[in-house]
Amino acid sequence: MEKSEALLQIKKMSAERATDTPFECALYTRDLAPVPALLVDPLFRTMPDLVVRPAETGEVSAILKLASAGGIPVTPRAGASTVYFNTVPARGGIVLDLNLLRGVVELDEEKLTVTVGAATTWGELEHYLNARGLAPQSVPSSAPSASIGGWFAMMGYGIGSLKYGSLLSQVQVAEVVLPDGEIRDLTPDSDPSLDWFAASEGTLGIVTRLKIAIRRHHPMRHFLLHSPDLGEIAGVLAAVKDAGVKPYNLHFTDEACAQAMHRQGIAPDGVSGGCLLAIDYEGTPEELTAAGQTVDNLVAGSRTVSFLSPEAALEEWNERYKSLKLKRSGPSELGGESWLPVRSLTSYLTDIQQLARNLRLDLCTYGHVVSPERAIVMTMFFADETKVFDYIIGLSLVKKIHDVAYRHGGYPYGVGLWNTPYLSRIFTGSRLAELRDRKKRLDPAGVLNPGKLYKWPLMLNPLFFTIGMECLVRVGSLRRGGGR
Amino acid sequence: MMAMDDQKLLAELERETLVCGRCGNCRSACPVYRAVGWESASPRGKISLAKEIFTKGRRNFLTGDYVRRVAQCTLCGACARDCATGIDTRSLWLELRRRLSRSGQEPKAYDSIRDNLLARKNVSTFDNEDRLEWAQDLDEEPEHLDRQEGADVCYFVGCVSAFFPQAAQIPLAVSQLLMKAGVDFTTLGGEEWCCGFPLLSTGFVDDAREFARHNVAMVKELGIHTLIASCASCYHVWKHDYQEDLAGYDLEILHTSEYLARLIREGRLKPQPLEEVVTYHDPCDLGRNGGVFEAPREIIGSIPGVSFVELEHNRAESLCCGGGGNLQSVDPELSAEIARFRVEEIAATGATVVVSACQQCEQILGAAVRKAGRPIRVLDVSELLLESVE
Repeated sequence: MEKSEALLQIKKMSAERATDTPFECALYTRDLAPVPALLVDPLFRTMPDLVVRPAETGEVSAILKLASAGGIPVTPRAGASTVYFNTVPARGGIVLDLNLLRGVVELDEEKLTVTVGAATTWGELEHYLNARGLAPQSVPSSAPSASIGGWFAMMGYGIGSLKYGSLLSQVQVAEVVLPDGEIRDLTPDSDPSLDWFAASEGTLGIVTRLKIAIRRHHPMRHFLLHSPDLGEIAGVLAAVKDAGVKPYNLHFTDEACAQAMHRQGIAPDGVSGGCLLAIDYEGTPEELTAAGQTVDNLVAGSRTVSFLSPEAALEEWNERYKSLKLKRSGPSELGGESWLPVRSLTSYLTDIQQLARNLRLDLCTYGHVVSPERAIVMTMFFADETKVFDYIIGLSLVKKIHDVAYRHGGYPYGVGLWNTPYLSRIFTGSRLAELRDRKKRLDPAGVLNPGKLYKWPLMLNPLFFTIGMECLVRVGSLRRGGGR
Repeated sequence: MMAMDDQKLLAELERETLVCGRCGNCRSACPVYRAVGWESASPRGKISLAKEIFTKGRRNFLTGDYVRRVAQCTLCGACARDCATGIDTRSLWLELRRRLSRSGQEPKAYDSIRDNLLARKNVSTFDNEDRLEWAQDLDEEPEHLDRQEGADVCYFVGCVSAFFPQAAQIPLAVSQLLMKAGVDFTTLGGEEWCCGFPLLSTGFVDDAREFARHNVAMVKELGIHTLIASCASCYHVWKHDYQEDLAGYDLEILHTSEYLARLIREGRLKPQPLEEVVTYHDPCDLGRNGGVFEAPREIIGSIPGVSFVELEHNRAESLCCGGGGNLQSVDPELSAEIARFRVEEIAATGATVVVSACQQCEQILGAAVRKAGRPIRVLDVSELLLESVE
């Protein structure tokens, strides 16, 4: 089938839920990251030919059948709350705006499971469950906007993962539309297996519905610790992480970040520096008491760690979905988010501060411990996207941050388009080959979200990318007056 | 905004569009996005386009489609509540509308609203001298209803209550309650001009300022020191946007729910039993944008026999009724669709009465309840209280 004919049929089928007007389509050419057009436009065709908002799974299936027949790229999108162009077309085609596939389909309070439309946001689900004395086991820090299917399509680690594991471990069944339009209910034992689709970034199929495990909504207890000594606060973090009562949430903030918060007037209890460690527990009264004793003992046994006020601890928890609040000091932010071994946190932060001194730049770091071994760590700096040249030079510094993470066993969290130059850091050769085999098996025509995850585009191949970034770093260094 | 420095806002809009992180928290909260579904209807979409137009100077993005989207907003403030970067989006929407109006690109419906207001000083087609027509339905008209100098309380009735028969029950109830409590109260009568909110929200800020000056001058002339408003938007404007004109003048501004709750606490009103299952819809301008959550609940809670049930989204989380921001004037179907969402939630409570504290909410929800065929009465909190003290 001709591409134009397929597009026409899809447009006719989805009627008022399809549009090809430039006014609407233009807003689907971006995600959170404001990448300058002069970098994007020569390399990719981000403008979709058509945006469609399917109302049910059958419609998704029909669209994929036609798209496959016409060889039209399809990019799924819901919250679009990522920064790597995961949900932005690289080759035009169709954007499937899945936001109509939302809402709770079934709640089983006895078995503690809920079945939801994939575009239901975590915020919606949390609100729905909390009103019934229940809660999601874990949520992303972008819960108000991130969809459940979207987080599954990413790596699915965030708030609550330390205690309850990744989202993949909580999903029992996922309804998925494969690239040829076939609708399947996938489980850990099906072929293909459910786990193929976790972190597949919408490249293997479109998740339309999920059944996930939930938990009882227990009381919580919040602590916020402060110390001028990175080593000591890291020691408390490690001890709390491995203690008998698992924290629900473990979030740290480095000195540069605390200083930036102070400058913006949003630092807890008015602290002007030092490191922060937020520890949040949920559980029975007995568990909360035991948790409190654990934290009390650790603080009592330290030289410099102190408690901030309970009000500040609660406020920190209440603000957990507003990690962008520091952006006000920018107005733009650039940074690198890494999947870092927890044991390397101190050495990573020490090297980041050395990098900051070399670059004469404030590098602010914060993150969540999401498993006994790993933390998701964001190191960011302020920028101004209206100063395009400086902003592009700033983009080159993101690689420097990733390089530091790599030296400490870390790699970018999520791939999308912009992290494809780091594929060899993110995956072993055999793992990448396995992923490419899956793609070839399920989507041989490369219809779903092409250009992402498996292979770098020509201009982003690691060699060109490294040379280009290094040149920009040096130009930036010269502009700053000689810092390394 | 009348109380804000114009130049400051002009500069701030450009910066705020850059501060927006496009995270989409606002989109999840937005009733308009929920009803329309396109990214261009989401707050982050509108801010993205504002960045292109005003910050990057790409005027080709300023199209009729964009103007329509800017007008498709109830100013409910849910986006501001959830904004991860702390943008005062409500002010930003007002500033966008002001820019459209200043450049002559506002929707035609905005011009009609302005022309009518400038001509009549109210949002209806009636002469402003008829502002107290509603009082003819009182069994006994209060002695000093029209511009009584030195009255203890001035009741700012609001255009909708004064001129639209379906909302007239509100001033009738408020007046009867004040009389029962023995309150010495008056109104501005034919000298009450629209509070100016419809002008503010259509971007005609300078005109709104004139209305504010007039109303403040009238209050000062009568020597009024306590003003109550039953319209949530009037209350919000008096409380927040009139402050520059009120500087140095001692005026207590209360919503009628706050004042009536006070009268109950003082024992001047004594609610009697009512057998009803009641829920409460927080008006955006009174609750989320005005910070008044407890007074209406205190009134409902003071009525013996009432079984009160909260809506799933309440207080600062309340869902808009669809009637704010002049949306009803520019897109009545969209306004009705937003109201439909709210009525579904109201019906799910099993309440026999939904109470609000805003004439616009009452009107919008009343129409939506009738359209849905739900056996639910829609009342202002003053009407419910009156039922219990009669």
